[in-house]
Amino acid sequence: MEPKISCENIREAIENLPMLSPNVSRLLQVLSDEDYELDDVVNIVKYDAVLTAKVLKIVNSPVFGLLNPVTSLERAISYLGKWIVVSIILSDNTGDLFSQPLEGYEGQQNALWRHDLFAAFSCSEVARLAKQSFETELAFTAGLLHDIGKFVFAPFWKQAAPEALKRIAEGSITDYLAAERALAGMDHAQIGYEMAKHWEFPQPLQQAILYHHTPQNAPEEYRALAFAAHIGDMCAMMAGCDTGNDGMQYPLDNGYAEYFDVTSNSLAQILMEAEAQFKKAISSLSFEEEVD
Amino acid sequence: MSDIILGIGDYGASKTPGSMVKTYALGSCVAVTMYDPGLRVAGMVHVALPESKLNPAKGADCPGYFADLGVPLLFEEMVRMGCQRKGRGLIVKMLGGASVMAGNDTFNIGKRNVLAVKKVLWSLGMGPTAEDVGANHSRTVSLYVDTGLVTVSCPGRGQWQI
Repeated sequence: MEPKISCENIREAIENLPMLSPNVSRLLQVLSDEDYELDDVVNIVKYDAVLTAKVLKIVNSPVFGLLNPVTSLERAISYLGKWIVVSIILSDNTGDLFSQPLEGYEGQQNALWRHDLFAAFSCSEVARLAKQSFETELAFTAGLLHDIGKFVFAPFWKQAAPEALKRIAEGSITDYLAAERALAGMDHAQIGYEMAKHWEFPQPLQQAILYHHTPQNAPEEYRALAFAAHIGDMCAMMAGCDTGNDGMQYPLDNGYAEYFDVTSNSLAQILMEAEAQFKKAISSLSFEEEVD
Repeated sequence: MSDIILGIGDYGASKTPGSMVKTYALGSCVAVTMYDPGLRVAGMVHVALPESKLNPAKGADCPGYFADLGVPLLFEEMVRMGCQRKGRGLIVKMLGGASVMAGNDTFNIGKRNVLAVKKVLWSLGMGPTAEDVGANHSRTVSLYVDTGLVTVSCPGRGQWQI
């Protein structure tokens, strides 16, 4: 089948992406270090006056209902939890990467952010169920970044998406990822990987993005992280936090069982915990938007 | 507008003319709608998991999250708004419960939700008169107070009625 979309144009769009802010690059490097500490995250925020003000504004917002105002950054971060702070840094320093409507996917404004945030909290919960030693700290970030490829791909995908859905419905293409490959010559995971390389993300994150739908194909050292991103992605879709017309249109890779002890009950607990944290994060972050 | 928008685990009913009860993107969650055509009372619950024994604390905090607590609570709310206690005349519908592709039993929460909802409805002496459940797509559901019409929509698949 001849692809309808030019891979060259997609690659050009990736090349033309602006570089990431130094804050994000530093944050991703810090999170990839197995021995990082909360202080390392504090240090990123500390030297950015705008970011510091935002973190303090959020912790003192009605969402958290604190009796006494928090004025110390360390206390604020320890109160909010590092994942909300990581989310603030990423959402605040990546332009419209997560907020732009996803045209080809018919995803509303902020759909990618909501999906990625739910997936990220799910990934952290999945990480707790690891059967072998595993860098649990990276799971949240892998969940948050796994679908960035859709940002670049969505405008191109607009022309082919209706045909993709038609072919999946009639059974001539098995799933959405296969449809992207057939009709565009690339899928959003590969595009996300190219973006991650362009932005020089740490290697484990690049690999988790590339293999989040095909974790079994990931190199052994990154496979558990790719499976965590895969399960987190599935959880977000099951919870209704999808990115549009591709919701639940990807197959589950059962190979997760080798790496994570996910049962019916633990999956339910993952969904409950992720939803609770997601709600808290969305309330805090939207409060921050309102006051700006 | 006095539309009621339900999030995960919410339930609610309305008899305000011209309004609707709506919930977005069900995924594997299930929405149960109840409508009394005589009184024009419309209610809905958005349940996420089958049984509150999975997490009793969450059940106490947000009973609508679980089928075993949420569906009876919706019925109570309908009664509070004037519907008959025996549920006579209520039109009950069920939507959602989708599954990921190639999902195994562990991941088939959608199916477990659908079965749990049916079980609870039966225990209340009710059954759905129409359902749009399963498959691999998420659903946004609206129930209109004036007509009892239930519309379903999904990105890329348009809108339909059940």
